[in-house]
Amino acid sequence: MKTLFGIIATFDTPDAVKNAAAYLRQAGFRTLEAYAPYPVEGLGEIIHPGPKPLLPLLMFAGAVFGAGWGYWIQYWDEALNYPLNVGGRPYNSWPSFIVSAFEFMLLVTIASGFFGLLAISRLPRLYHPIFEAKVFERASRDRFLICVEATDPRFDAASIRAAFEQLGAERIEEVRS
Amino acid sequence: MAMTLTSELPAAPVVAPDVTLASLSEQVSGRVLMDRAPLWWWAGFGFSFTLFTLLVIQMAWLFVNGIGVWGVEIPVAWGLAIAEYVWWIALASGGTIVSALFFLTRSPWRSATNRIAESMLLSAAPCAGLMPIMHLGRPGLFYWLFPYSTVMGVWPQARSPLWWDFICLIYYILMSIMYYYTGILPDLATVRDLARSRFKQIFYGVLALGWRGSSEQWRNQRTVYAIMSAIMAPMVISVHSVVGLDFAGGLTPGWHDTQFPPYFFFGAVISGTAVIIMLTIVVRWGYGLQDVLTAYHFNAMAKIMLVGSVMLAYAYVWEAFGPIYGSDVAQKTEFFQRAFGFTAPAFWSEKILTVVIPQLLWLPAVRRSRTLLFLISGGIIVGMWQERFVFTTSSLEHNYMPSYWGRYYPTFWDWACLAGTIGLFLTLFFLFLRFAPIVSIAEMREVIEEERSK
Repeated sequence: MKTLFGIIATFDTPDAVKNAAAYLRQAGFRTLEAYAPYPVEGLGEIIHPGPKPLLPLLMFAGAVFGAGWGYWIQYWDEALNYPLNVGGRPYNSWPSFIVSAFEFMLLVTIASGFFGLLAISRLPRLYHPIFEAKVFERASRDRFLICVEATDPRFDAASIRAAFEQLGAERIEEVRS
Repeated sequence: MAMTLTSELPAAPVVAPDVTLASLSEQVSGRVLMDRAPLWWWAGFGFSFTLFTLLVIQMAWLFVNGIGVWGVEIPVAWGLAIAEYVWWIALASGGTIVSALFFLTRSPWRSATNRIAESMLLSAAPCAGLMPIMHLGRPGLFYWLFPYSTVMGVWPQARSPLWWDFICLIYYILMSIMYYYTGILPDLATVRDLARSRFKQIFYGVLALGWRGSSEQWRNQRTVYAIMSAIMAPMVISVHSVVGLDFAGGLTPGWHDTQFPPYFFFGAVISGTAVIIMLTIVVRWGYGLQDVLTAYHFNAMAKIMLVGSVMLAYAYVWEAFGPIYGSDVAQKTEFFQRAFGFTAPAFWSEKILTVVIPQLLWLPAVRRSRTLLFLISGGIIVGMWQERFVFTTSSLEHNYMPSYWGRYYPTFWDWACLAGTIGLFLTLFFLFLRFAPIVSIAEMREVIEEERSK
């Protein structure tokens, strides 16, 4: 017997799914998630209120670290490890080191954003119970899905179905995995 | 810009009104999921691959015999390969500019063309990277440029512009791959969900990394993508400026001028946009994407190209003004030799192709005609190649000492190298065309919704 993962409903406009998300949040549901073919403005804030993830801060930290590290490699190489007099220039020729330090800063910033995005979205994760839903493939095309998961303390299949129907859902489906 | 474009072309929408979310996904993914590629794809790919084999032969010949098989010798030790390095990296940089800069300005035409631009730059960057490696003489030792701790204790010289150049290019490719992947992830999920054969489901399922499109994932993806775009735009300017610094840092007359970083960058804007226009015309025709790539896009990109040509004209004025107004006899002599000597035909035809003819783009009728756009873009690309060629070789031909002057004649293997890298570029682009969605489906959905709500 497969266990119940949640109840999923399909909506055909972004406004309807925003409406439904706001209603469910207000009714006290907490473990719900919406799936959409493109980023619907404001939907993330309705479903996950509270502080945003710290990705921009992570990228900024990456920038500071990258700049420092990039400069340090060159300084260590040219001034400490293998000091070489090139045309009488100082060992710590900072104007020359700026260029590579700048590029290294950008590389580490982009890499921390990229890997931070994967980590915070918990990807790669090739299997997820939501993939069992028959309507799920429409979420990457033209439908807006919202799923109340069974782990929600207030989860009650019948009342959620009723709520979805009242909110004008196109289809309602139980997801089992 | 977005506002003026919309008011100027009310008859040309960003996307045809009958395109829906479902039809867009199926149309674009369908091109990736086709069981058999169309005939034009095989013809194009076969042609490109043939040219690519020429590159392999050229490289084998070069590595066996050394770079003497090219026309380079003293005094002109930098020939076609270096000129083409600059040319390729300029084309790639133009792709990043179209993709990143116009994401930041929220230009609606960017959504349908950015993937073509990014595929183009990821195909052009390896061609650029190959050029200096082939030119090394001992190409097997190129990894000595990496700043890592070797047992020999030998480190690269961080004060050298050539080393900056290596760092810039390799980081540029790495950053572009991450930027491309962040943008394409949702589209790969769409392809995965539409795939019917087991193999393709697994293939695209793995590539999509299990992307679900949850509100949380979208929010994070959009945050990161916006910041990445804000970094990619100045990054590409810095990368191409460093290519200019390679030359400006040399003491050769004709190179030793502070204007070259922006001069090179202006060339990147115009030549990159020109390649994107040519490829967009081909992709639009081949994949039947007339609904998504409309007159609006060509109009917008033609204007970018026009801006690029005006900027380039400004740079050309300074190219002449610097040596003529300055007091250095060698600089002046070199400039007059460049403009009226051996390289004069290439010098003047380059000015006509990149600055004079593109002025036709002021006329709306020219911007609407795809045939003319294709021809003008092709002319610009050829003109930019000539500019890089004249710039690189003419300076070395006329160094400070007249007794040290010489001439540069490309050999068969120089031309084989050019044709071969064009083959590599097109081969990679055709592979992108076949295996990855060539239009950003997720971003186009937003454009469709916006158009609908108007």
